[in-house]
Amino acid sequence: MIKFIRFAHSLSRFSGAISTILIITAVLVTTEMVFVRKILNYSTTWHTEYIIFSLAAATFIGSPYVLMKKKHVSVDIVTHYLSARAKKILSFLAAFLSIIFLVVFFYTSLELFLHAWNKNLRTPTIWNFPLWKVYIFMPISALLLIIQSIADIFSTICDYKEPESNH
Amino acid sequence: MSPLLLSLYIIGATFIILFTGIPIAFGLALVSTAFFIGIEGIGRLPLVAEQLFNGLQDFGIVTIPMFLLMGIAIAASPAGKDLYSALDRWLNRVPGGLVLSNLGACAIFAALCGSSPATCAAIGKMGIPEMRKRGYSDELSTGTIAAGGTLGILIPPSITMIIYGISTGTSIGRLFIAGIFPGLMLTGLFMLWAFVFVRFSQGRGREKVAVETYTWKQRIEILPKILPFIFLVIGVLYVLYGGFATPNEASAVGALFAMILVAIVYKMYKPKYFWDIFSETMIESVMLLLIIAASSLFAFVLSNLYVTQSIAKELVAIASNKWLLMVYINVFLIVAGFFLPPVASILMTAPILYPIIVAAGFDPIWFGVVVTINMEIGLIHPPVGLNIFVIQGIAPDIKLSKILWGCLPYALLMIVQIIILCAFPQIATWLPSYVMK
Repeated sequence: MIKFIRFAHSLSRFSGAISTILIITAVLVTTEMVFVRKILNYSTTWHTEYIIFSLAAATFIGSPYVLMKKKHVSVDIVTHYLSARAKKILSFLAAFLSIIFLVVFFYTSLELFLHAWNKNLRTPTIWNFPLWKVYIFMPISALLLIIQSIADIFSTICDYKEPESNH
Repeated sequence: MSPLLLSLYIIGATFIILFTGIPIAFGLALVSTAFFIGIEGIGRLPLVAEQLFNGLQDFGIVTIPMFLLMGIAIAASPAGKDLYSALDRWLNRVPGGLVLSNLGACAIFAALCGSSPATCAAIGKMGIPEMRKRGYSDELSTGTIAAGGTLGILIPPSITMIIYGISTGTSIGRLFIAGIFPGLMLTGLFMLWAFVFVRFSQGRGREKVAVETYTWKQRIEILPKILPFIFLVIGVLYVLYGGFATPNEASAVGALFAMILVAIVYKMYKPKYFWDIFSETMIESVMLLLIIAASSLFAFVLSNLYVTQSIAKELVAIASNKWLLMVYINVFLIVAGFFLPPVASILMTAPILYPIIVAAGFDPIWFGVVVTINMEIGLIHPPVGLNIFVIQGIAPDIKLSKILWGCLPYALLMIVQIIILCAFPQIATWLPSYVMK
């Protein structure tokens, strides 16, 4: 079990790093866009789309890491007042419910990705960007989220605590 | 099934599922998917992923990571501490001067960052121990920081307003400008109360406050450290309101300059430091953006099942006039604040409330400000008041009840501010209509 948890955590950490890099690129492209538009007075073509897509991709791919860090906001008003045992049971239930949704998300996003891939769908803009390149982040994210949720269940069972680190 | 009954089921199911402690984003998406598929059939399944994706296809969302980055970069530096001690050196002779300095520092910091807990933590880490050391009561010290921190979402930039703007389609730039006067006014109300309270209780011997003395040299020498950040605030506001740039562009420039300033003023330029800032920005952005994606699915399903429209119709029918309606909506939002953090509150209720507001003849920009103040109240009242937990983290030895008593007068002042805004909507609407004709 511990092995699986560690495996899941390293996957999540990797996904977090990718998400951070995507956010950094979004920041750089945005500032570059401002420079090109305002200082050089040129119009930009691909910037806006790149920024939106990279942020969407970062959101999906960064999710497993945020889940691992327990930074997704939740309503803990009920869990706060429960006994340790009841808390555990409720956290299993929460993880189980998450997994139900994530399986649906995995399936539907995979379909979306395959559709875009097979039909070679592109954005109707000058950039003409192939949509599968951004859609692919969704099924990958769903899969990693499922793995991370299972790891969370295991962590609760064997009281595993993540060793402190920044990454 | 009638849409109204269905909406009761959906609201009930949402709360039950969220109470398990499931991440709000997953909970909302699960409820939406279950009801959508349950009622419209399995054929609608492909829409789930598509709608989650579409929820993020708004260029406005770029302001979220940018303003977060700006706030996180500054919060990671000692800027909050300097800001606060500079104000203290200038305000030390005024009764309750230290409390006023803290409130002022919160307001200025709020203009550098769009988040309440961050403002609270940045000023509170220095402010609370110092206020207690000089003899201010625990209640006043903690309440001031908790309430001062909430200014973070009213004074622009504000993540809460960005989210309101995205979910209702109102202009983020206008919302920001609309927040300026109410934000300053609320800061003024807070300060007035602190001043009167300290004056009054000093007379009765309750607050025995030690006053530090500073020379003019000490007052002047701290200024170079904080001036760059004041210029940053003025710069971002100027770029935004001078019509030079959109909020998206202003946020990017603000983030870039914040990082450069922190690197120069505080000599923080190691790559590890930058990576940590970006990593923190990533966590906060992903958390917020995922809720935005999930609530766009939620709003889409509610609207498709005709729930939004029927609740709106019902609410309008119950309220005989528009101000009664406004009272209901505010009570509803405050109650929602008992359970939900601001972001989720806004994203879940805005699609329902927006058409009602517009139909009743209220200004959506003005309403954005009212909603934001409402969310501020939610940040300092139990059980999910985020700022209260931040304070507990800073001063773990102070009892929760003392923090809550300290927050109460400030929460009442926020309600007063909402009432003032209802009586004089121009406080919020005049500046945006003047600047952005």
